[in-house]
Parts: sequence; structure tokens; C-alpha cells
Amino acid sequence: MNSEVQKFDLVILGRGAAAFSAAIKASELSNGEMTIAMIGVGPLGGTCVNFGCVPSKYLLEASHSVFRPEHPRMAGIHTTMVKYEFSEVMEGLRSYVGHARDTKYAKVIENYSNVSLFTGLGKFVDKKTVVVSDSNGKDVAVVSGSNMLIATGSHPTVPNIEGLKETGFLTSDTIWGINDLPESVAIIGGGAIGLELGQALLHFGSKVTVIEALDSLLPQTEPEIGSALKMYLEEEGMKFYMRARVSKINKNGGMKSVEFITHKGNEKIDVQEIIIATGRQPNTEYLDLKTAGVDTDPRGLIITSRTMKTSASGIYAAGDCVSKKMFLETLAAREGVTAVSNMFGEDMKIDYESATWAVFTNPQVAGVGMTENEFSRKNGSCSCRIFSLENLTKASITGETEGIIKITVDPKDNTVVGMQILAPNATDIITEGAYAVGKGYKIDDIIATSHIFPSISEGVKLAAQSFIRDLSKMACCVE
Amino acid sequence: MKEERVKLRIYGMTCDDCVNTVSHGLKKQDGVLDVKISLKDGSGEIEIDSDKIEPEKLLKNEVFEKPSHYRATLMDQ
Ligand SMILES: Cc1cc2nc3c(=O)[nH]c(=O)nc-3n(C[C@H](O)[C@H](O)[C@H](O)COP(=O)(O)OP(=O)(O)OC[C@H]3O[C@@H](n4cnc5c(N)ncnc54)[C@H](O)[C@@H]3O)c2cc1C
Repeated sequence: MNSEVQKFDLVILGRGAAAFSAAIKASELSNGEMTIAMIGVGPLGGTCVNFGCVPSKYLLEASHSVFRPEHPRMAGIHTTMVKYEFSEVMEGLRSYVGHARDTKYAKVIENYSNVSLFTGLGKFVDKKTVVVSDSNGKDVAVVSGSNMLIATGSHPTVPNIEGLKETGFLTSDTIWGINDLPESVAIIGGGAIGLELGQALLHFGSKVTVIEALDSLLPQTEPEIGSALKMYLEEEGMKFYMRARVSKINKNGGMKSVEFITHKGNEKIDVQEIIIATGRQPNTEYLDLKTAGVDTDPRGLIITSRTMKTSASGIYAAGDCVSKKMFLETLAAREGVTAVSNMFGEDMKIDYESATWAVFTNPQVAGVGMTENEFSRKNGSCSCRIFSLENLTKASITGETEGIIKITVDPKDNTVVGMQILAPNATDIITEGAYAVGKGYKIDDIIATSHIFPSISEGVKLAAQSFIRDLSKMACCVE
Repeated sequence: MKEERVKLRIYGMTCDDCVNTVSHGLKKQDGVLDVKISLKDGSGEIEIDSDKIEPEKLLKNEVFEKPSHYRATLMDQ
């Protein structure tokens, strides 16, 4: 090992979204002069491009291309069975991920001569110094920085279930390597990742069963949205066991048996594959954060202020390793930029309140701001309206009427404080909610804004109009 | 008065003129007692009266704010 300490202006632990956005911002602010060490293992770009956002959205889109022609919605359009080769879809997915990693990460960072990449895991030996070790645990470098950024992300949790390890399972890290579509799948965990993977496999033709410990899906969403989504997924053929706890897993011939306890007692299903989607935990254990004086919450997530400063001066954190409510690529990148900007003396604060989030099932779910319940708990009262896509011209033309738009306002002055959308393109139209919540727009601002007719986005305007008039008495073009 | 030495990493300095501009800017700041800038290292040692100014406030000095192209970060924290 080169035991000499290599000195940098900034040491970044991590090579994912938070790390890249931080390194690029720091390079921009210093005109390429800031020397930066970027440490990490695994493919460049981290979770989002390699195991998260990108492959999951690729798989979902491919699966919808199979499912839609088989389930036409409009009169006179006949069912068409789509021919596809699952192994080639997966090959295409992996090739796209490789391309995205190369063009958006590997080639990008090559342009920054001030950034040095280190392969290995970093561990603090003091507040300013990190020792980097390779996969055999051999120390390969020691680096120190005037400023430190921890952006080590997270990994899937694997629950301690009897027989799980011996039987074998997939996670959102490993599923991208499969070539054969499992004929049947049990997904343990009905959160965003479980539902996205589940619907993708279902649309390709797998029999999918979701086993969820809670009594509702997506607890961060409005209850109407969680239950509507569950109903639509059930209509497509997804099976749910709610308030179910998996007790035992074992091999049963060529199949895998999953035993679980529900209100009915002990139940059991046999499936070809098991996917664990029970959440993620931060990659902070290895870092020896105590030595650095960095405080964590009970789950090991790093506690930061809104400026992304940790409890140790000169040490910042960003991304999925940070203690917060939502774990998203968009937030990771924003937090990276916030941390670095503050190293340069700015007063930037991360705005979680108007951050948008999404689940990419079909229909998609997207939201911003507070739910009805959150606002009324905080302020005593609130006002909200739910608009069904059944009353929207565009949705009824295409037959995609599964969906609702819910807007929550402060009853004092009709300021929009939250919006949640269940719609085919909710992830695109939620940006209107982000503006409304972020800028403090009122219901009248949305109504006064031009929306295309007929479009799904018009539903946001109609949801806003439903605060002031009875929509059933309204012609389609009333302003 | 509580004297403290703060080390800054200063980006964007290419010549002696830059050194003068940055030094001058820092010296004008209330609470700054002395400024030594190294062009070679791109750094500065600033004596401050920490009763009057916190080290981070140096980063907000006018000379490090847009439209100036100089920027700084703290080195020892
Ligand atoms: C299946 C799935 C789908 C998703 N879909 C979406 C989506 O559609 N939209 C969205 O916004 N978000 C989505 N996310 C979330 C998103 O991927 C993450 O929020 C984001 O990638 C987090 O980025 P990060 O930089 O914090 O961490 P990561 O990208 O995980 O990077 C962490 C880095 O830290 C390194 N590291 C770990 N330990 C150490 C150590 N000790 N020393 C040095 N380096 C270390 C790793 O090597 C890695 O490079 C999805 C996630 C998953 C799993």
C-alpha cells in the first residue's frame, strides 16, 4: 500500500448520484481547481443507474409494451398477443444500463482531471482521514481532505427468515441478472420497489403474489390512492396478502415454499422465485463514524441539518445514507449540491417539503407536500378534494380512467399544501404540484393557468375547480 | 479579543494581482486582523478576532461572491 497520505481539498465517500452531483458542483464552483477524491466499490454511478431507477423503469416500460396490446381499451381494437423473448429483453436492459452508466457517469467523470477515483471501501481513521481497503480487506490508500462528504448510499435489507438464505432469493440488486421469466413469484414487501418489480413481472406473464406486513400499500400515500392502486393491481391479477408475516421458507422440489401468518392463521404458497423488497439500510456500518464524530439515528442513518452538515465540523452527508423520509435519486443529487455549496460558504438548505416522489406502476403514483392527514394533524383542519379520472375527457377517450387526483389546501387562504396523483402519467404532471407547493400557489392560480384540453394534466385544473364548484354541473370548457 | 488563525483554500488566483485583490477584500472585513496569501498553494492564512467574526463568515466575503470568480473553502475545521 502507498501509506503516504494523499491530500485532497474534498474527499467523497461514494460514487453514486449524490457523489457525482457533489463532485461536479464542486468542480464548477472552483473552476476545476478543487482536488477531489471519490471512493467507492461496484459500478460507477451507484444504485440509480445500475440497480435502481434506470433498470426498473426499463423493465416496467418493456412489460407495458407486452401487456397493453393484450389488454386493449378502445372499441374495435382487438387483443393482440405480443411475441417477446424475455432473455433478450434482459439483455437489452443490461446493455442500456451499461450505455447509461458510460455516457452519464464514466465518460463524464473522465472530463474532470481534478477528480481521482479510488476503488475500495473507505473507513475513517480520524475526522479528516480515510483508509481505503480493497475487497480482500487490504488497505490500498490513505486519503485526507479539508472537507469530507459521506455519500455511501444504502443496500437492500434481508430479513431474518428461517430457510430464506438456504432457499435463495432475488433482491433489487440481483434481479437484473436473470434471463428466464419466473413462472410465479412471491414478493415480500409491498413498497414502491416491490410493486414496481411485481407489476413488471406480472405484465410479462408471471403469477405475482405480494406479501405485506402492513395493512395498506404505500403508507406514505393518501389512503384513497393506496387502496385504489391495490384494487387496480388486483384486477390485473396480482395477489395480495396484507398484515402477513413470513415465518419460514424452504425448497420444495423445483419450487420455493413461503409460509406466512395472516389473520386466517398459517398459510403457504409455492412459487418459482422469491423477491425480497422489505426496505433498504444505509451503508454506514463500515465507516467507523464514531471515530469521525458523526452522529447517526437508531437505523444507522446519518443525522444532518438541512444544510447537509453532520455533527462533525467539515463533514457533510448526502443521499440514501442520510436520515430523512424519502430516498430518491433526485434528493440525493440535490443534497450533494447543497453540501458542496455550503462548503463554499453559501446558505443553501434542502427543501424536502416540495420534493416530488413517485411509484412507477401503471397507473403511476406521484406526490408532493403534505397529505390531508399530515396537514390536519399539524394545523387542526384542512380542506381537500378528490377528482376521479372517470370525469376526465382524455382518460375516458383512452379508457384509462383508473386514477384520482387529490389536492389538499390550507383552508385559511386556499394555498396548496399537498397534491397526490394516481394516473397513467402522474410522474410527469406532478411537477405542477411541485410548483404549487414550493411557490405557495393558491387554488385560483391553478385554475387561472392554461391547461391543454383534452389532457391528463387538465385533471389537475378540474381537481382545483372542484374546490369552488360542483363539477357535475360544469360543461367541459368552463374556466 | 480572541485571536484565531484560519486557513483558507482559495480558488481562482492566477497572478499577483489576484493575490492583492483577495488580500485587500479580506483585510476590509470586520474582525480580520491579518492576511497572508500564497499564490503557489492557492491558500491563505487569516488572523481573525473570533469574538467578532466566525471563520465561515470569511467565505461570504465580497471577494468570494459573484461576479468575482474567486472562491474559498475552510481547510482546518
Ligand atoms: C429498485 C430501485 C428503484 C428506484 N427507482 C427510483 C426512481 O425511479 N426514482 C428515484 O428518484 N429514485 C429511485 N430509487 C432510489 C435511488 O436509486 C437512490 O435514492 C439513489 O440512487 C441514492 O444515491 P446515493 O448516491 O445516495 O447512493 P448510491 O447510488 O447507492 O451510491 C453509494 C455509493 O457509496 C459507495 N460506498 C458504500 N460504502 C462505502 C464506503 N464505506 N466507502 C466508500 N464508498 C462506499 C458505493 O460503492 C456507491 O458507489 C430506486 C432505488 C431502487 C433500489
